[in-house]
Amino acid sequence: MRTKSYSYWLFLAPVLIALTLVVVVPMLLGVYYSFTSWNGIVTGNFVGFENYTNAFKDERFMDALWFTVKFSVVSVIMINVIGLSLALLVTSHVKSSKLLRTVFFMPNLIGGLILGFIWQFIFIKVFASVGQIIGMESLQGWLSTTNTGFWGLTILMSWQMAGYIMVIYIAYLEGMPKELLEASEIDGASSTQRFRFIVFPLVAPAFTVSMFLTLSNTFKLYDQNLSLTGGGPYNSTEMVAMEIFQTAFTQNVFAYAQAKAVIFFVIVALVALVQVYVNKRREVEM
Amino acid sequence: MKEFKVRKGLLASLFVTAGILAGCGGGGEEASQSEGEKVTVDVFQFKVEFKDQFEDVVELYEKENPDVNIDITTVGGGEDYGAALRSRFASGNEPAIFNIGGPQDVADWKDKLSNLSDTAAAEAALDGTLDGVTVEENVLGLPYNQEGYGFVYNTRLFEEAGIDPVSITDFASLEEAVKTLDSKKEELGLDAVFALPAKEAWVTGLHLSNTFLAPEFNHNVLDTFAADKVEFKYGDAFKKILDLQNDYSVQPTVSLDYSQQVEELFSLERVAIIQQGNWVYGSIAGIDQELADSGVGMMPIPVEGYEEGGLPVGVPMYWGVNSAKDEEVVQASKDFLDWLYTSDAGKKAVVEDFKFIPAYEGYDTSKITDPMSKAIYDASEAGNTIGWVFMGYPTGWGEGEVGASIQKYLSDEASWEEVIDSAKQAWEKNRSN
Repeated sequence: MRTKSYSYWLFLAPVLIALTLVVVVPMLLGVYYSFTSWNGIVTGNFVGFENYTNAFKDERFMDALWFTVKFSVVSVIMINVIGLSLALLVTSHVKSSKLLRTVFFMPNLIGGLILGFIWQFIFIKVFASVGQIIGMESLQGWLSTTNTGFWGLTILMSWQMAGYIMVIYIAYLEGMPKELLEASEIDGASSTQRFRFIVFPLVAPAFTVSMFLTLSNTFKLYDQNLSLTGGGPYNSTEMVAMEIFQTAFTQNVFAYAQAKAVIFFVIVALVALVQVYVNKRREVEM
Repeated sequence: MKEFKVRKGLLASLFVTAGILAGCGGGGEEASQSEGEKVTVDVFQFKVEFKDQFEDVVELYEKENPDVNIDITTVGGGEDYGAALRSRFASGNEPAIFNIGGPQDVADWKDKLSNLSDTAAAEAALDGTLDGVTVEENVLGLPYNQEGYGFVYNTRLFEEAGIDPVSITDFASLEEAVKTLDSKKEELGLDAVFALPAKEAWVTGLHLSNTFLAPEFNHNVLDTFAADKVEFKYGDAFKKILDLQNDYSVQPTVSLDYSQQVEELFSLERVAIIQQGNWVYGSIAGIDQELADSGVGMMPIPVEGYEEGGLPVGVPMYWGVNSAKDEEVVQASKDFLDWLYTSDAGKKAVVEDFKFIPAYEGYDTSKITDPMSKAIYDASEAGNTIGWVFMGYPTGWGEGEVGASIQKYLSDEASWEEVIDSAKQAWEKNRSN
């Protein structure tokens, strides 16, 4: 094939070199370090799978992993439901739908760290004051318990990412052939039927993309976690990325943290691949 | 035509590749040292807060000593000083003067540190301030300054409630005063008596725990560093103080942070007492200059069953001199540090410009303006202090273990016994590795 000629590799070379230097090499080095007693200064001895077995026995790591899984499942559902609803709203005949699109997308333009601090203020101050006025005890002391910390994080994440996911859904909704909808309307399908049997299958490719993005983003979440709860109270809202950072940079056990990072990478990669595979099978070919 | 395209492509990719490689290359050049007979002293330091003042003072020194050239690099604040220092050494561009913290740093850098016992500054250092950096009679570091903490209180509120802070000498009288304040909350306009920032694990896990562990380790950070286990001899006294602060605090304490505690609650006079150190001066002054200058005081955290009147005072950072440098550079470095801490011009800068609490004898304390720093320097000169041993805790133990389980305790998720037990276990586990 012509594409295998010189020029093919020539054009590819810059990307390949960059990818090797900044992704492949560090990753291989990282895997290597996870089998040693590296402390950040000297590489140390080869210790085999010790770091890995320790990681699986590490309660704090396992708690963080479990918390991350719970958070991801809830967030992925919430973000996609809200994102799709917003998309349906702004593609229907609502006035100022163009403006609304921008407004819904805006939260995504604010950095995660800042968002965390803004929402911290909302949860702690605004919630408490509103709660006082309307007499709702449950709005007091947000972020001071594991539960409120968990919901705080999911609310923040949904608020930030729903607009982004909305844009993806809009693209697929607008690309949908209108004649199918019109035909179904003439055949007498109700609006719920239309959504269930026509719109839903046709935006399936959007689900694949959106789920992949939300899943990988929520799993790897760090900055919002850091600024909103900082893992507190008592490290119970600490997610895996943060736990690994803590292991490396406050406890100074770098090789151990590296082993956890490898485990984390394998999990995220597996979950993402399975999700894409499953979603792909549900897509309909036009 | 096709030929031409391929060439263009080759050229383009070459450029891009070269760009990437060049990005990784550069920055390897050494600064030339050919400025006549001048000795160059590279200072690699940590404290961002006094960078400008420090540079001014250095300029003064260079004017007085024209044959010495001092270059300062400051890495700190949000940056990781330890990592930056390591990479500086790894690159071969070693600084002459750098900073070291606790005993772990001393152990890591021991081979690179000169003996500073013969300096005038080491001679003048206050008792106990050199404990953490003395290895086999060799003084390996000189203290930056001193810092201390305790219960910072609002003098006006105390007066209006009819409490004399001098009368608070032990736990019983403190509890009495807290109850009096609590009963007059309405008239004084208080939200609560205390603001306990349990979210900040360093306040509970490092500072508060230090107060009760220092007596157990003879106030010596090296003993702490060498200890295989921890007893919590004053664990009950610890619990009592923690409970007292929590019971009379603005709630919920586990999500209360430093800025709420100091700026929002204390500076606006909505609480009367907070457990903090002299570093809050800036935060308070930013909101209420008058309160910071004349409306606050500092009293000790009473350790029941032990001396109840000592302020926890310690040295946060030390200067170390690189022993791998030439003899004349080492000497010039020592001379500079001596000048900074023992000459009249240096002393004046340390107190008035840096606003430090000096860790050395012979300073004019009347120049220390803020009341908290003054209390600390007085206590320190009188020897009425509790040592800072938390820098000798196992890595991550204070904040990650004690601070976190105190949050658990305050959320009713763990009993006090569990807090103590898990802290003991974590200490032993860490030390046995």
